[in-house]
Amino acid sequence: MEKKLLFSAKNITKSFHGTQALKGVDLDVYEGEVVGLIGENGAGKSTLLKIIIGAQPQSSGDMIMHANEFAPKDPMEANAEGIGMVFQEQSLIVNLSVGQNIFFGHEKDFKQYGFVNWSKMYAEARKVLDEVGCNNINPRKKVIDLNFATRQMIEIAKVVNVTKSGSDQKCLILLDEPTSVLNEIEVQRLFVEIRKLTQKGHSVIFVSHRLDEVLEISDRVYIYKDGENAGNMKTSEANEAKLYEAMVGRGTTTEYYKLEKQSKPQQGVVLEAKDLGLWGSFKHCSFKLHKGEILGIAGVVGSGKEELCSIICGDEKNTSGELFVNGKRKNYSSPSQALKDGILMIPKERLVEGIVRGLSVGDNIALSNAKNLLKNGLISKKKMNEQADQWIDTLRIKTTGRQELLIQLSGGNQQKVVFARALASEADIIILNHPTRGVDVGAKEEIYSLIRDIVAAGKSVILLGDTLDECIGMSNRIFVMKDGLITGEFNADANEKPTQVSIVSMMM
Amino acid sequence: MLKNQAKTKLNFRENLQRYFCFAVLLLLVIAFTIMEPRFLNAANIVNLLSDSAPLMIMAAGMTPILLLGSIDLSIGAMCSVGNVLVLTLMMNLANTISNPAIVILLSIILTAMVGILSGIIMGTIHVKLKVPSFIASLAFMSIFQSAALLISRAPQALPKKLYSTVKWYSIHFGPIGLPLILAMLLIVVFYIILTYTPFGKGIYAIGANERAARIAGIKVDKYKIIAFAMNGFCATLGAVFLMAKSKSSAPTVGDAFTLMVISAIVLGGTSLIGGAGNILKTIIGVFTVAIIKNGMTTVGVNVYWQKVVYGVIILIAIAIAADRSSRSFVVK
Repeated sequence: MEKKLLFSAKNITKSFHGTQALKGVDLDVYEGEVVGLIGENGAGKSTLLKIIIGAQPQSSGDMIMHANEFAPKDPMEANAEGIGMVFQEQSLIVNLSVGQNIFFGHEKDFKQYGFVNWSKMYAEARKVLDEVGCNNINPRKKVIDLNFATRQMIEIAKVVNVTKSGSDQKCLILLDEPTSVLNEIEVQRLFVEIRKLTQKGHSVIFVSHRLDEVLEISDRVYIYKDGENAGNMKTSEANEAKLYEAMVGRGTTTEYYKLEKQSKPQQGVVLEAKDLGLWGSFKHCSFKLHKGEILGIAGVVGSGKEELCSIICGDEKNTSGELFVNGKRKNYSSPSQALKDGILMIPKERLVEGIVRGLSVGDNIALSNAKNLLKNGLISKKKMNEQADQWIDTLRIKTTGRQELLIQLSGGNQQKVVFARALASEADIIILNHPTRGVDVGAKEEIYSLIRDIVAAGKSVILLGDTLDECIGMSNRIFVMKDGLITGEFNADANEKPTQVSIVSMMM
Repeated sequence: MLKNQAKTKLNFRENLQRYFCFAVLLLLVIAFTIMEPRFLNAANIVNLLSDSAPLMIMAAGMTPILLLGSIDLSIGAMCSVGNVLVLTLMMNLANTISNPAIVILLSIILTAMVGILSGIIMGTIHVKLKVPSFIASLAFMSIFQSAALLISRAPQALPKKLYSTVKWYSIHFGPIGLPLILAMLLIVVFYIILTYTPFGKGIYAIGANERAARIAGIKVDKYKIIAFAMNGFCATLGAVFLMAKSKSSAPTVGDAFTLMVISAIVLGGTSLIGGAGNILKTIIGVFTVAIIKNGMTTVGVNVYWQKVVYGVIILIAIAIAADRSSRSFVVK
């Protein structure tokens, strides 16, 4: 059966502030297929999606949808044509209920005597949720009470609803890194949902940094590099190495997780938790972190691993148990106290907790170590500039210079700045909470290499991997958390890594 | 090249913000001079410059608060307290201590300590009890207004025998008086603190993203309390200047200053959202406000109408400076 072309973009270009984000890219989507779209940060994936959804116009180039010329002025117009998008940044209104969010902007459909017929809306919401396989979500619940993974499913439900309401025309759903906040099971659930959509003849553009996911879900893959086409291939003919090579423009020359550089931890214990607990989140957590060790913590969202980290880094106070740092009992009431003992976290929510967007790259790097830059009691501009230049250079941060505001950097480069700050702070215990979240493959490799260097220098790392694979690959030792308890511990020496299956079985 | 061109275009708004203050200043001077040529004569300029010293001192203290994204609405009332307190202290101390220099120094120190302490208390309430600074300072405004009246119900005059204690206020170097030099010196010190110390860098970071600043290990609570303490100090120091200027005290003298201080800082380009601004530009903002005040009086604008003008100016300044791209809204 010949497949019908649903959507086509030809030679799209886009320039911002004089920089060319897209230099002429193409994309064809046939009915009922999943098209993977990959590329390094700044390759132009998100930009193209924003053009397709009508959030911003292209500078030149044409798009065709349903065999008609297509130039949406705003997302509403794109929705009417059957295009819906889940944005990278979550767009739910957290103080409204799930149902209100799903039908946000469509309240008119439920009007009865001038008022909204709530019970009808919630009944409809339940149907939509059922359709995406989330029948366990109460549509009357407020979004703020739900975790990120659930919120992501609601976003998808919302998009499915918007596009479905068009009519029986075929839809195109744009997913911009939908899996970055999901755990393995939820990713699988999402894939099931995506397949359901495609069986009905709808199509999906799937953007992700995780090549294995792209390979699993897509029928064809487009690769962009620096705003240009870098090839497209059928998934059946592709593998991770091929995709990687097309994306980065060079082959993987080293082992992904730098296993050959994995070192044995030293004997000394730098941090020890004894029966640590936080009421309502986790309890009875006991573990030791050694000098030069990477300790991975695996667990699904809600297992308590995030809260455990926020206690260690001083953001929250534990309600039971004891924390020892370098043999001394500690009870931090703020991250600044923890930093004094050399503990610093690279947070998960980069935009909210990681970066200060309105400050320059240099200022951001100096955020945690301003004291080290003092000269005669005042901060030395020279030292600060040297530090900024050094880290921009070392981490290959793509920026016009240390004076550039962080808001102007791409996500991956912002993350590198957060990393630079942590490294510059000279903390001995670094908590990496999803260190490679939203970072492209090339930058990931550099970050892995960096983490290896950090521990080689005698520092210790607590790692909450962005993927389980990453957690296994990087760690010396892994413990698994489930429902607030430690359920298992694995040795993860370079030559005897535990399997994903064995760890997942303890997470569930 | 292409990049630069695009930048110039896009930065029009930014430039408008940057030069708004200078433009307003220039326009005002021209307008007032046309309406009343006496506005530009030497005596008036000397008067204008020395007038702006107390305002500048208070604006110096308030700038870090606005950089934090906080606000202190009690600054004027605090100034009133300081104003009546310092004179009351001087008159009481003069009964036991004969050296006038010691009398004024001791009074200033005690008054400043009251200011610092009030700032610490207000900062602590704001930070530890998580009361928004807007509300906390509104409550303190009411408390301070009453406190000033409780200390001295009626305006008081400085006794003739203590006139020697405020002589320093009328020392002039050409057109510029010692008070203004001291005030500008204070701004420079604050500039150095804000630009070249971890504390100052922290203030900007907290104002721009408090959560990230906390996670990065910045002492958010401590820095905020220090900023409020500095502000309390400046409010009372400004009060001392006011007393020295008029050789008298009044329990309501500071009320008008709250809006003037905020206007001056905002005109100087400091963002009310926090995280952006330059205290050196507060100097220009202060002169602008001083010129508006002086000019309106010279031209003969009714005192009650003057407040209307301040209100309009602060609204225009904030509307121009507001970052409309930001999803968050003022008030922390």
